[in-house]
Amino acid sequence: MISRRAFLARLGLAGVGLPLLAHHGTGMYDMSHPVTVTGVVKRFEWTNPHAYIYMDVKDEKGNMVEWSVEMMALNHLKSYGWARNTVQPGDVISCTGGAAKSGAPTMLSSIIKLSDGREIKS
Amino acid sequence: MRLSFIAPSVVVSAISALGQTPPAPASSPAPSYARAALLPARIEKFTATPESIQPGQSLTLSWATENPVSVNIDPAIGKVRPRGAKTLSPSATTTYTLTVKGPKDQVVTQTVTVTVAGTVAVNLTPASGTQAPPASSATPRMPDGKPNLTGVYNSSSFNFGGGAVRGQTDPVQATLKPGAEKYKVVRGPTDAGVYASCMPTGVPLAYFVPYQWEIVQGLDKVVILYEYLHMFRVIPINGAHPADPDPTWMGDSVGHWDGDTLVVDTVGFNDRTELPGAFRHSEALHVTERFHRTDFDRLQWDATIEDPNVFAKPWTITRTFPLRTDLDKVDEYVCENNKDYKDLFGK
Repeated sequence: MISRRAFLARLGLAGVGLPLLAHHGTGMYDMSHPVTVTGVVKRFEWTNPHAYIYMDVKDEKGNMVEWSVEMMALNHLKSYGWARNTVQPGDVISCTGGAAKSGAPTMLSSIIKLSDGREIKS
Repeated sequence: MRLSFIAPSVVVSAISALGQTPPAPASSPAPSYARAALLPARIEKFTATPESIQPGQSLTLSWATENPVSVNIDPAIGKVRPRGAKTLSPSATTTYTLTVKGPKDQVVTQTVTVTVAGTVAVNLTPASGTQAPPASSATPRMPDGKPNLTGVYNSSSFNFGGGAVRGQTDPVQATLKPGAEKYKVVRGPTDAGVYASCMPTGVPLAYFVPYQWEIVQGLDKVVILYEYLHMFRVIPINGAHPADPDPTWMGDSVGHWDGDTLVVDTVGFNDRTELPGAFRHSEALHVTERFHRTDFDRLQWDATIEDPNVFAKPWTITRTFPLRTDLDKVDEYVCENNKDYKDLFGK
């Protein structure tokens, strides 16, 4: 077992400020088994304490399910290069992160792949 | 993305002490966090509008980057936010270089040349990407000679645009007095944490959130603005506490100068906030802060915490906050989209 600082130092990221604290803990999401969910953006809530993307996702049975994708607060999103129009309704995006342990269609996303393929921290 | 868990033991204890619920220890960050940290930085845009001007006219530089570790524009601008625009009026033809650092040793640059009619180019090759030095690295002074603390500062672990906050991983050295065990906060596995309510943090927990904060200094008062939750404090210099202050979330503060150090004394807290280390407190909480701007870029700070109902003795937290040269002010923060997470924890 190595410490996070040692791990990040090996990656050359020791100087990178990754938020240690958040508005709330992440215990409600399964961060150790990330999933990727692809959907069509319905709306993007550019808000604190968290921005949210709501997207239509087709489940295994072919039914449309609305997923809510929780992102970091605006301060952090701005530091990653987000703006309030980075995603638009109708965009097809893929969100990678931890889904709710309850099985509800909601997740905390670490990475979002935008409609043109570029990936950005979320 | 969040790293509320994986850390060396001292950070884990600090996080669990702050009331966060640490997940089971693991040997590395969650896979999605680890991959997010390695996403390459990109320049999406770097333009000058217009690209040709007459002497004395202005232009607007506009830029957008993604996944940066740091962003600089040379010459003469220095550290900037990942997206932004700046209006300038160069006196001669200038090539501006946008330098973006990404994870590991990644560096990407892009240039744009602004032609000023009838002038000779001031720089024929792009700059090396180092920050333009400030006019002076000395502590700025007010007209009355006192240090001017005005500026936007980094806080906690949020390092973008400024240096790391020194002291942020120091363990909390607080000792409860006998019989005061009830003041230690214990959180259950489905408790979303101290910040989930979006209520003011009190002092000094306001410095423990990853959001910048700002000092605006006048001659007779100093105002501190915390971006997180839009909190503020007004500190009259040589003021006096009311005899019986109404208990408030951020307390009643007065300040005085001790040489080049601003000493801020705060009482009159309600008992609704938490202290670093996951302690509650009583209305007898007394916080003494000392602010010393040692040079242009660095603000040394310490806070001594006393509560005779809770702690065996006063204890002190020390930090060095770096200046955020990329920011003019804090942004708005309104907790307008808070959620109740209790149903997401699962069976």
